Amino acid sequence: MVPGSKLLTDATVMNLSELLLQESDYQRLRGVLAKTQKDLRAVLVLLIDRGGHEIASEGKGLGADHTALAALAAANLAATQELARLVGETEFSIIFHQGRYRSIHVSDVAKRFSLVLVFDDSISLGVVRWKVKRATASLEEIFRGLLDRPKSATAPAANAASASPVHFTDAEIEKLMKHFAPKADKEGKV
Amino acid sequence: MTFINYVAHEINCKIVYYGPGLGGKTTNLKYVYGITSPENRGKMISLATETERTLFFDFLPIDLGQIRNYSTRFHLYTVPGQVFYDASRKLILRGVDGVVFVADSQEERLDANLESLSNLEQNLKEHGFDLSTIPYVLQLNKRDLPNVMPAEKLQKFLRVKGEPVYEAVATQGVGVLETLKAITRQVLVALRKSA
Repeated sequence: MVPGSKLLTDATVMNLSELLLQESDYQRLRGVLAKTQKDLRAVLVLLIDRGGHEIASEGKGLGADHTALAALAAANLAATQELARLVGETEFSIIFHQGRYRSIHVSDVAKRFSLVLVFDDSISLGVVRWKVKRATASLEEIFRGLLDRPKSATAPAANAASASPVHFTDAEIEKLMKHFAPKADKEGKV
Repeated sequence: MTFINYVAHEINCKIVYYGPGLGGKTTNLKYVYGITSPENRGKMISLATETERTLFFDFLPIDLGQIRNYSTRFHLYTVPGQVFYDASRKLILRGVDGVVFVADSQEERLDANLESLSNLEQNLKEHGFDLSTIPYVLQLNKRDLPNVMPAEKLQKFLRVKGEPVYEAVATQGVGVLETLKAITRQVLVALRKSA
Protein backbone atom coordinates (compact mmCIF):
# COMPACT_ATOMS: atom_id res chain seq x y z
CA MET A 1 0.00 0.00 0.00
CA VAL A 2 2.59 2.52 -0.96
CA PRO A 3 0.84 5.79 -1.75
CA GLY A 4 1.31 6.37 -5.44
CA SER A 5 2.88 9.70 -6.21
CA LYS A 6 1.07 9.78 -9.53
CA LEU A 7 -2.18 10.23 -7.64
CA LEU A 8 -1.06 13.34 -5.86
CA THR A 9 -2.75 16.62 -6.63
CA ASP A 10 -2.84 19.89 -4.73
CA ALA A 11 -6.38 19.26 -3.59
CA THR A 12 -5.79 15.84 -2.07
CA VAL A 13 -5.71 15.38 1.66
CA MET A 14 -5.27 12.56 4.09
CA ASN A 15 -7.51 12.03 7.07
CA LEU A 16 -5.69 10.74 10.16
CA SER A 17 -8.65 10.60 12.48
CA GLU A 18 -8.91 14.21 13.65
CA LEU A 19 -5.82 15.25 11.74
CA LEU A 20 -6.18 16.34 8.16
CA LEU A 21 -2.98 16.23 6.24
CA GLN A 22 -2.75 18.40 3.18
CA GLU A 23 -0.54 17.35 0.34
CA SER A 24 2.12 19.86 1.34
CA ASP A 25 2.23 18.31 4.85
CA TYR A 26 2.39 14.87 3.36
CA GLN A 27 5.30 15.89 1.16
CA ARG A 28 7.11 17.32 4.18
CA LEU A 29 6.66 14.00 5.99
CA ARG A 30 7.99 12.16 2.99
CA GLY A 31 10.90 14.58 2.86
CA VAL A 32 11.90 13.65 6.41
CA LEU A 33 11.61 9.95 5.62
CA ALA A 34 13.59 10.37 2.41
CA LYS A 35 16.43 12.17 4.17
CA THR A 36 16.56 9.51 6.89
CA GLN A 37 16.51 6.74 4.32
CA LYS A 38 19.29 8.37 2.35
CA ASP A 39 21.45 9.21 5.37
CA LEU A 40 21.25 5.67 6.72
CA ARG A 41 21.09 3.96 3.34
CA ALA A 42 18.14 2.21 4.96
CA VAL A 43 16.31 -0.59 3.22
CA LEU A 44 13.01 0.91 4.28
CA VAL A 45 11.70 3.80 6.35
CA LEU A 46 8.03 3.52 7.17
CA LEU A 47 5.72 5.90 9.04
CA ILE A 48 2.64 4.14 10.41
CA ASP A 49 -0.18 4.98 12.76
CA ARG A 50 -0.78 3.01 15.94
CA GLY A 51 -3.50 1.01 14.20
CA GLY A 52 -0.91 -0.43 11.82
CA HIS A 53 -1.79 1.61 8.74
CA GLU A 54 0.96 2.93 6.55
CA ILE A 55 1.06 6.70 6.16
CA ALA A 56 4.20 7.13 4.08
CA SER A 57 7.35 5.24 3.23
CA GLU A 58 10.70 5.58 1.52
CA GLY A 59 12.95 2.82 0.21
CA LYS A 60 11.82 -0.14 -1.80
CA GLY A 61 14.17 -2.81 -0.59
CA LEU A 62 11.43 -5.08 0.71
CA GLY A 63 9.14 -4.88 -2.31
CA ALA A 64 5.65 -3.48 -2.20
CA ASP A 65 4.13 -5.46 0.68
CA HIS A 66 4.39 -3.06 3.59
CA THR A 67 0.94 -3.93 4.90
CA ALA A 68 1.98 -6.92 6.96
CA LEU A 69 5.10 -5.15 8.20
CA ALA A 70 3.06 -2.17 9.37
CA ALA A 71 0.50 -4.40 11.13
CA LEU A 72 3.17 -6.46 12.89
CA ALA A 73 5.22 -3.42 13.92
CA ALA A 74 2.14 -1.75 15.41
CA ALA A 75 1.18 -4.91 17.30
CA ASN A 76 4.76 -5.33 18.46
CA LEU A 77 4.89 -1.81 19.82
CA ALA A 78 1.50 -2.19 21.49
CA ALA A 79 2.63 -5.42 23.16
CA THR A 80 5.88 -3.78 24.26
CA GLN A 81 3.98 -0.93 25.85
CA GLU A 82 1.94 -3.42 27.83
CA LEU A 83 5.15 -5.09 28.94
CA ALA A 84 6.41 -1.71 30.11
CA ARG A 85 3.33 -1.16 32.19
CA LEU A 86 3.67 -4.61 33.73
CA VAL A 87 7.16 -3.82 34.98
CA GLY A 88 6.22 -0.38 36.25
CA GLU A 89 7.44 1.73 33.34
CA THR A 90 5.22 4.23 31.58
CA GLU A 91 6.53 3.10 28.21
CA PHE A 92 9.34 1.52 26.23
CA SER A 93 9.42 3.94 23.37
CA ILE A 94 11.88 2.01 21.20
CA ILE A 95 12.06 -1.55 19.91
CA PHE A 96 15.21 -2.87 18.30
CA HIS A 97 15.51 -6.28 16.69
CA GLN A 98 19.01 -7.17 15.56
CA GLY A 99 19.45 -9.75 12.84
CA ARG A 100 22.57 -11.15 11.25
CA TYR A 101 22.20 -9.03 8.11
CA ARG A 102 19.21 -6.81 8.74
CA SER A 103 17.75 -5.10 11.74
CA ILE A 104 14.53 -3.33 12.60
CA HIS A 105 14.16 -0.24 14.73
CA VAL A 106 10.65 0.86 15.77
CA SER A 107 10.13 4.08 17.68
CA ASP A 108 7.34 6.27 18.91
CA VAL A 109 6.38 9.50 17.17
CA ALA A 110 4.07 11.91 19.00
CA LYS A 111 2.39 9.06 20.91
CA ARG A 112 0.17 8.13 18.00
CA PHE A 113 2.52 7.21 15.17
CA SER A 114 5.56 4.99 14.80
CA LEU A 115 8.67 5.17 12.70
CA VAL A 116 9.88 1.81 11.41
CA LEU A 117 13.38 1.46 10.01
CA VAL A 118 14.80 -1.59 8.29
CA PHE A 119 18.53 -1.33 7.75
CA ASP A 120 21.59 -3.40 6.92
CA ASP A 121 24.35 -4.45 9.29
CA SER A 122 26.70 -1.88 7.75
CA ILE A 123 25.06 0.87 9.83
CA SER A 124 25.83 1.16 13.50
CA LEU A 125 22.98 1.31 15.98
CA GLY A 126 24.32 4.53 17.45
CA VAL A 127 24.03 6.29 14.10
CA VAL A 128 20.54 4.89 13.64
CA ARG A 129 19.48 6.20 17.03
CA TRP A 130 20.92 9.61 16.32
CA LYS A 131 19.20 9.90 12.95
CA VAL A 132 15.91 8.55 14.31
CA LYS A 133 16.00 11.12 17.08
CA ARG A 134 16.41 13.91 14.56
CA ALA A 135 13.77 12.50 12.22
CA THR A 136 11.33 12.08 15.11
CA ALA A 137 11.82 15.70 16.14
CA SER A 138 11.13 16.85 12.57
CA LEU A 139 8.05 14.64 12.24
CA GLU A 140 6.69 15.78 15.58
CA GLU A 141 7.18 19.39 14.57
CA ILE A 142 5.10 18.77 11.45
CA PHE A 143 2.34 17.06 13.44
CA ARG A 144 2.42 19.81 16.05
CA GLY A 145 2.03 22.38 13.30
CA LEU A 146 -1.03 20.53 12.06
CA LEU A 147 -2.63 20.53 15.48
CA ASP A 148 -1.83 24.21 16.06
CA ARG A 149 -3.08 25.32 12.68
CA PRO A 150 -6.30 27.37 12.89
CA LYS A 151 -9.33 25.50 11.67
CA SER A 152 -9.91 28.10 8.98
CA ALA A 153 -6.58 27.16 7.46
CA THR A 154 -7.68 23.56 7.01
CA ALA A 155 -11.19 24.42 5.86
CA PRO A 156 -10.47 23.98 2.15
CA ALA A 157 -8.93 20.60 2.89
CA ALA A 158 -11.89 19.57 4.99
CA ASN A 159 -14.22 20.55 2.19
CA ALA A 160 -12.22 18.48 -0.24
CA ALA A 161 -12.46 15.56 2.15
CA SER A 162 -16.20 15.81 2.62
CA ALA A 163 -16.71 15.64 -1.12
CA SER A 164 -15.10 12.22 -1.13
CA PRO A 165 -15.86 8.62 -0.85
CA VAL A 166 -17.70 8.08 2.41
CA HIS A 167 -20.94 9.60 1.20
CA PHE A 168 -21.64 6.50 -0.81
CA THR A 169 -25.18 5.29 -1.40
CA ASP A 170 -26.70 1.98 -0.38
CA ALA A 171 -26.65 0.98 -4.04
CA GLU A 172 -22.90 1.62 -4.24
CA ILE A 173 -22.29 -0.50 -1.14
CA GLU A 174 -24.43 -3.32 -2.54
CA LYS A 175 -22.57 -3.12 -5.83
CA LEU A 176 -19.29 -3.50 -3.96
CA MET A 177 -20.65 -6.48 -2.02
CA LYS A 178 -21.91 -8.10 -5.21
CA HIS A 179 -18.57 -7.56 -6.89
CA PHE A 180 -16.72 -9.25 -4.04
CA ALA A 181 -17.88 -12.80 -4.67
CA PRO A 182 -14.82 -14.88 -5.49
CA LYS A 183 -16.92 -18.02 -5.29
CA ALA A 184 -20.59 -18.62 -4.64
CA ASP A 185 -20.99 -18.69 -0.87
CA LYS A 186 -23.23 -21.25 0.71
CA GLU A 187 -26.15 -19.48 2.34
CA GLY A 188 -25.92 -19.28 6.08
CA LYS A 189 -28.24 -16.53 7.30
CA VAL A 190 -30.70 -17.58 9.98
CA MET B 1 -10.32 3.59 13.43
CA THR B 2 -11.01 3.90 9.75
CA PHE B 3 -8.06 5.41 7.96
CA ILE B 4 -8.89 7.26 4.78
CA ASN B 5 -5.98 8.06 2.56
CA TYR B 6 -7.17 10.70 0.15
CA VAL B 7 -3.76 10.78 -1.46
CA ALA B 8 -3.62 7.12 -2.44
CA HIS B 9 -7.42 6.83 -2.74
CA GLU B 10 -7.82 4.16 -0.08
CA ILE B 11 -10.31 3.48 2.68
CA ASN B 12 -8.73 1.24 5.33
CA CYS B 13 -10.87 -0.46 7.96
CA LYS B 14 -10.19 -2.96 10.72
CA ILE B 15 -12.41 -5.94 11.49
CA VAL B 16 -11.78 -8.25 14.43
CA TYR B 17 -13.04 -11.83 14.70
CA TYR B 18 -13.69 -12.51 18.38
CA GLY B 19 -14.96 -15.57 20.23
CA PRO B 20 -14.01 -18.52 22.42
CA GLY B 21 -10.98 -20.70 21.81
CA LEU B 22 -11.24 -23.27 19.01
CA GLY B 23 -14.42 -21.62 17.76
CA GLY B 24 -13.23 -21.21 14.17
CA LYS B 25 -11.98 -17.63 13.92
CA THR B 26 -8.74 -18.58 12.21
CA THR B 27 -10.63 -21.00 9.96
CA ASN B 28 -12.83 -18.10 8.81
CA LEU B 29 -9.76 -16.13 7.78
CA LYS B 30 -8.12 -19.10 6.11
CA TYR B 31 -11.23 -19.67 4.02
CA VAL B 32 -11.38 -16.00 3.00
CA TYR B 33 -7.71 -16.18 2.08
CA GLY B 34 -8.32 -19.28 0.00
CA ILE B 35 -11.16 -17.85 -2.07
CA THR B 36 -9.74 -14.39 -2.61
CA SER B 37 -7.69 -13.83 -5.72
CA PRO B 38 -4.03 -13.03 -5.03
CA GLU B 39 -4.32 -9.50 -6.38
CA ASN B 40 -7.06 -8.74 -3.84
CA ARG B 41 -5.33 -10.04 -0.76
CA GLY B 42 -2.08 -9.55 1.08
CA LYS B 43 0.01 -12.00 3.02
CA MET B 44 -1.81 -13.86 5.78
CA ILE B 45 0.13 -13.70 9.02
CA SER B 46 -0.58 -16.19 11.81
CA LEU B 47 1.14 -15.78 15.14
CA ALA B 48 0.39 -19.19 16.57
CA THR B 49 1.82 -21.74 18.97
CA GLU B 50 3.46 -24.92 17.73
CA THR B 51 0.08 -26.61 18.13
CA GLU B 52 -1.50 -24.02 15.83
CA ARG B 53 -3.45 -22.25 18.55
CA THR B 54 -3.53 -18.50 18.00
CA LEU B 55 -0.95 -16.91 20.26
CA PHE B 56 -1.33 -13.24 19.40
CA PHE B 57 -3.41 -12.78 16.24
CA ASP B 58 -3.99 -13.73 12.63
CA PHE B 59 -3.93 -10.95 10.09
CA LEU B 60 -5.27 -10.86 6.56
CA PRO B 61 -5.55 -7.70 4.46
CA ILE B 62 -8.10 -7.88 1.63
CA ASP B 63 -9.23 -5.45 -1.01
CA LEU B 64 -12.96 -5.58 -1.63
CA GLY B 65 -12.84 -3.44 -4.73
CA GLN B 66 -13.48 0.17 -5.64
CA ILE B 67 -16.17 2.49 -4.45
CA ARG B 68 -16.23 6.04 -5.79
CA ASN B 69 -12.79 5.48 -7.20
CA TYR B 70 -11.39 4.53 -3.77
CA SER B 71 -10.01 1.11 -2.93
CA THR B 72 -11.74 -0.45 0.08
CA ARG B 73 -9.13 -2.30 2.10
CA PHE B 74 -10.15 -4.31 5.11
CA HIS B 75 -7.65 -5.59 7.65
CA LEU B 76 -9.06 -8.76 9.17
CA TYR B 77 -7.72 -9.82 12.57
CA THR B 78 -8.52 -12.68 14.89
CA VAL B 79 -7.84 -12.69 18.61
CA PRO B 80 -6.54 -15.61 20.65
CA GLY B 81 -9.62 -17.21 22.13
CA GLN B 82 -8.05 -18.85 25.14
CA VAL B 83 -9.04 -17.11 28.34
CA PHE B 84 -5.53 -16.39 29.62
CA TYR B 85 -4.58 -14.36 26.53
CA ASP B 86 -6.79 -11.48 27.54
CA ALA B 87 -4.02 -8.88 27.42
CA SER B 88 -3.41 -9.75 23.75
CA ARG B 89 -7.11 -9.57 22.93
CA LYS B 90 -7.30 -6.06 24.31
CA LEU B 91 -4.43 -4.93 22.10
CA ILE B 92 -6.02 -6.30 18.95
CA LEU B 93 -9.24 -4.38 19.58
CA ARG B 94 -7.38 -1.09 19.40
CA GLY B 95 -8.82 0.98 16.55
CA VAL B 96 -11.41 -1.64 15.58
CA ASP B 97 -14.17 -0.67 13.16
CA GLY B 98 -16.30 -3.81 13.32
CA VAL B 99 -16.51 -7.10 15.20
CA VAL B 100 -17.57 -10.59 14.18
CA PHE B 101 -18.35 -12.87 17.11
CA VAL B 102 -17.67 -16.46 16.09
CA ALA B 103 -19.64 -18.65 18.46
CA ASP B 104 -19.10 -22.36 18.88
CA SER B 105 -22.53 -23.96 18.48
CA GLN B 106 -21.77 -27.04 20.56
CA GLU B 107 -23.91 -27.43 23.66
CA GLU B 108 -20.93 -27.77 25.99
CA ARG B 109 -19.36 -24.53 24.71
CA LEU B 110 -22.23 -22.27 25.70
CA ASP B 111 -20.48 -21.09 28.85
CA ALA B 112 -17.30 -20.36 26.87
CA ASN B 113 -19.35 -18.35 24.36
CA LEU B 114 -20.99 -16.34 27.11
CA GLU B 115 -17.71 -15.71 28.88
CA SER B 116 -16.10 -14.54 25.65
CA LEU B 117 -19.03 -12.28 24.82
CA SER B 118 -18.84 -10.68 28.23
CA ASN B 119 -15.09 -10.30 27.80
CA LEU B 120 -15.63 -8.62 24.43
CA GLU B 121 -18.03 -6.12 25.92
CA GLN B 122 -15.59 -5.31 28.70
CA ASN B 123 -12.56 -4.99 26.42
CA LEU B 124 -14.44 -2.79 23.96
CA LYS B 125 -15.39 -0.52 26.84
CA GLU B 126 -11.75 -0.17 27.81
CA HIS B 127 -11.06 1.16 24.32
CA GLY B 128 -14.03 3.52 24.49
CA PHE B 129 -16.29 1.43 22.25
CA ASP B 130 -19.80 0.27 22.97
CA LEU B 131 -20.99 -3.13 21.80
CA SER B 132 -24.47 -1.72 21.38
CA THR B 133 -23.31 0.75 18.73
CA ILE B 134 -20.27 -0.76 17.02
CA PRO B 135 -20.82 -2.67 13.73
CA TYR B 136 -21.33 -6.25 14.83
CA VAL B 137 -22.28 -9.64 13.39
CA LEU B 138 -22.90 -12.94 15.16
CA GLN B 139 -21.79 -16.15 13.48
CA LEU B 140 -22.98 -19.50 14.82
CA ASN B 141 -20.21 -21.79 13.69
CA LYS B 142 -19.78 -25.57 13.57
CA ARG B 143 -23.36 -26.22 12.55
CA ASP B 144 -22.30 -29.54 11.04
CA LEU B 145 -21.46 -31.12 14.40
CA PRO B 146 -23.94 -33.54 16.04
CA ASN B 147 -24.11 -31.92 19.46
CA VAL B 148 -25.04 -28.36 18.47
CA MET B 149 -27.68 -26.28 20.17
CA PRO B 150 -30.66 -25.28 18.01
CA ALA B 151 -29.81 -21.96 16.34
CA GLU B 152 -32.89 -20.21 17.74
CA LYS B 153 -32.02 -21.25 21.27
CA LEU B 154 -28.37 -20.26 20.91
CA GLN B 155 -29.35 -16.87 19.56
CA LYS B 156 -31.44 -16.20 22.63
CA PHE B 157 -28.29 -16.46 24.71
CA LEU B 158 -25.87 -14.70 22.40
CA ARG B 159 -27.69 -12.13 20.32
CA VAL B 160 -27.18 -8.74 21.91
CA LYS B 161 -28.86 -6.13 19.74
CA GLY B 162 -30.67 -7.55 16.75
CA GLU B 163 -27.44 -7.98 14.81
CA PRO B 164 -27.36 -10.17 11.69
CA VAL B 165 -26.84 -13.85 12.56
CA TYR B 166 -25.28 -16.39 10.25
CA GLU B 167 -25.09 -20.13 10.65
CA ALA B 168 -21.73 -21.35 9.47
CA VAL B 169 -19.49 -24.32 8.87
CA ALA B 170 -16.24 -22.43 8.46
CA THR B 171 -14.26 -25.54 7.57
CA GLN B 172 -16.44 -25.87 4.46
CA GLY B 173 -16.86 -22.16 3.86
CA VAL B 174 -20.55 -22.18 4.66
CA GLY B 175 -21.64 -18.72 5.80
CA VAL B 176 -18.10 -17.32 5.88
CA LEU B 177 -18.37 -14.89 3.01
CA GLU B 178 -21.88 -13.87 4.02
CA THR B 179 -20.59 -13.02 7.47
CA LEU B 180 -17.75 -10.97 6.03
CA LYS B 181 -20.05 -9.11 3.68
CA ALA B 182 -22.47 -8.35 6.50
CA ILE B 183 -19.79 -6.81 8.70
CA THR B 184 -18.13 -4.84 5.90
CA ARG B 185 -21.51 -3.48 4.85
CA GLN B 186 -22.16 -2.32 8.41
CA VAL B 187 -18.73 -0.74 8.69
CA LEU B 188 -19.21 1.22 5.47
CA VAL B 189 -22.66 2.40 6.56
CA ALA B 190 -21.24 3.47 9.93
CA LEU B 191 -18.46 5.32 8.14
CA ARG B 192 -21.01 7.19 6.03
CA LYS B 193 -22.98 8.13 9.14
CA SER B 194 -19.88 9.43 10.89
CA ALA B 195 -18.92 11.74 8.01
